[in-house]
Amino acid sequence: MVVVRRRWFQNPWEFKESALCTALAVLVGFIMQYAASGHGIPKLYLPVNAIALATFALLVLGVGLGFRNNATVKWFGGIPLGLCLIVAIAVLSLIGGVIPQSDTFTGSLVAQLGLHQIFSSWPFALTVLLFLANLGLSLSWRLVPFSMKNIQFILFHAGFWIALSCGIFGAPDLQRLVVPVEEGKANDVGYTMESEMPQKLPFSIFLKDFTLEEYPIQLFLYDPRTGRPLQDRSKASLLVRQGLKASWNGVDVQVLEVLPFALPDSNGALHPADKATGIPFVKVKITTPEGSKEEWITTGSPFFETKDAQAGELLVAVRPGTPKAFRSVVSVQNEKGAQLDATLEVNHPIDFMGWKFYQMGYDEKLGRWSQLSLIEVIRDPWLPAVYLGFFMIMAGNLLFFWNGIKQKDEVAS
Amino acid sequence: MIFDFQTAALTAIGFWAAGSLLGIVGSRKPALKLPALALSAAGSLVMAGFIAIYWALLDRPPLRTLGETRLWYAALIPLVGFLVEYRWKIAWLKYYCMGLAAFFLIINLLHPDVFDKTLMPALQSPWFVPHVVVYLVGYVMLAASSVTALHNVSLQLRSKENANGESVSHYLALLGFVLLSFGLIFGALWAKEAWGHYWTWDPKETWAFLSWLAYLGYLHAYRYKIERSKLQWYLALSFVVLLICWFGVNYLPSAQNSVHTYSQS
Repeated sequence: MVVVRRRWFQNPWEFKESALCTALAVLVGFIMQYAASGHGIPKLYLPVNAIALATFALLVLGVGLGFRNNATVKWFGGIPLGLCLIVAIAVLSLIGGVIPQSDTFTGSLVAQLGLHQIFSSWPFALTVLLFLANLGLSLSWRLVPFSMKNIQFILFHAGFWIALSCGIFGAPDLQRLVVPVEEGKANDVGYTMESEMPQKLPFSIFLKDFTLEEYPIQLFLYDPRTGRPLQDRSKASLLVRQGLKASWNGVDVQVLEVLPFALPDSNGALHPADKATGIPFVKVKITTPEGSKEEWITTGSPFFETKDAQAGELLVAVRPGTPKAFRSVVSVQNEKGAQLDATLEVNHPIDFMGWKFYQMGYDEKLGRWSQLSLIEVIRDPWLPAVYLGFFMIMAGNLLFFWNGIKQKDEVAS
Repeated sequence: MIFDFQTAALTAIGFWAAGSLLGIVGSRKPALKLPALALSAAGSLVMAGFIAIYWALLDRPPLRTLGETRLWYAALIPLVGFLVEYRWKIAWLKYYCMGLAAFFLIINLLHPDVFDKTLMPALQSPWFVPHVVVYLVGYVMLAASSVTALHNVSLQLRSKENANGESVSHYLALLGFVLLSFGLIFGALWAKEAWGHYWTWDPKETWAFLSWLAYLGYLHAYRYKIERSKLQWYLALSFVVLLICWFGVNYLPSAQNSVHTYSQS
């Protein structure tokens, strides 16, 4: 076979030209980013971004169908350019995957080049735009004339096009606000993560009740000099229950008695109390080479001091369990009088008039005594389009999987 | 707890070692094939049994920490080796797979996990098991694909004919890619329910996207009829990106505010 070396820009264009084009796009992007002194792409909101995206889609479709035999257009919608752009997106994402991403970095050259906000930077935007053009062209050729044979290709590629373009063009329309609400009160202003300016919401949230469930309290042996817990022999996190035994080098601890909700009277004697005021007390037997002793210790609360027990130079302590579940019983009302009563919990958001409500947090210093619930409200008008893309990708993938399995048979035979 | 794991892990490694030894020594004797396979499979069964008991003891699926995911990996990857042998009559892959599985168990033996029953609210979701299991099986396929590709590279260097091996690495990569796509999208759908948005460029998400792009690139290069022998190098190395995504992300500077770090140990 005679290998003929292609010259630059000799038709048909291939990888060299694609790599050059991609590199230029990235370079121009970085120059623009630097010229804008680190400011990323401008934010376009509805309906401007939707019009821009529709125009772009029609343009790509028009060029793809109108000039499908033009060599340059063919190259523009071909695999070599697509591959180079995938590599470029991967490299830019790699930067985003290594360098911390945040808008708090300013001034340095790294920040001026947009490397701390790579996913809203010019080089990333230009690369993605070229990629969408490339993907869109190849898609237009499979869409027209339509054939069922192309259905897997169309589902996967169109799904990716829709999810990617709507996710990126629609990003500025995403509204995320945190609404702090206190028990027995209502609030209709929210705060964004970026600014402290309160923003009026088209509804108000009334918090009827906030509850926090915790895992059992945990037993620790602390070294007060380092402030760090030592791991016991079982290598388990020690959830406190009556009869629990734990041993470290030279220190053995046995839990003799547990009062989950109790309070001491003026003489120091412990009495059971209700859940709202009581705190956990634990009677431990501590055995060290010096001897053994029994002592009550407690996690304490925001209103009651923590008490640990001395074990030689170390401290035996109990600390509150990690949160197991927290929920807010709320009543949401909009200006027109529509109302919704619901319980918010992590992983169980609710929908109300185009907004989604999330249980986000609480006053962590107060733990289960928190009267404050942080509720995040989110509006994303582009979500249905992105989800349509996701489901098309999954459908395309199911076919791909199926065909992959079928092709295996051919290989085996 | 940890002592039970030691016993289970050492028993599994013992079975795999015995199965491999019998398989290699008796490769010319068909009578030894079945006992060798039975021994090797017993190793995976021990791990599967251990996972089941561990799951019951924890009251939650053991999929939260990296150490826990390595348990699944150790149980599943030898199965891919057995399946490939059954489907393509390629015997050597299972030895690599059992070696990899033993390697992951040894990591766990050297760095035992803390036995912790707690599961933070964000992970308490019906998405938890499908998201992680789809990814695990995907990673298992891609690990096997990468091992096959490495083997293909070594055969190439010794100029041996090996068309079958190249198809195996390709189809494993294809199936792995499909599972990665599902894992990525399941993750996005879950993130919307748990954290409010389907994509936030969290370091783990970014690296998951990167590994997905690596295999997307492979499939297009393959489609464009780039020489398959060259692509074996690519496949062998793509797995490195996956490993960074899986274990390495926690050590990167970008990970300081990741929402995906679930283990303090």
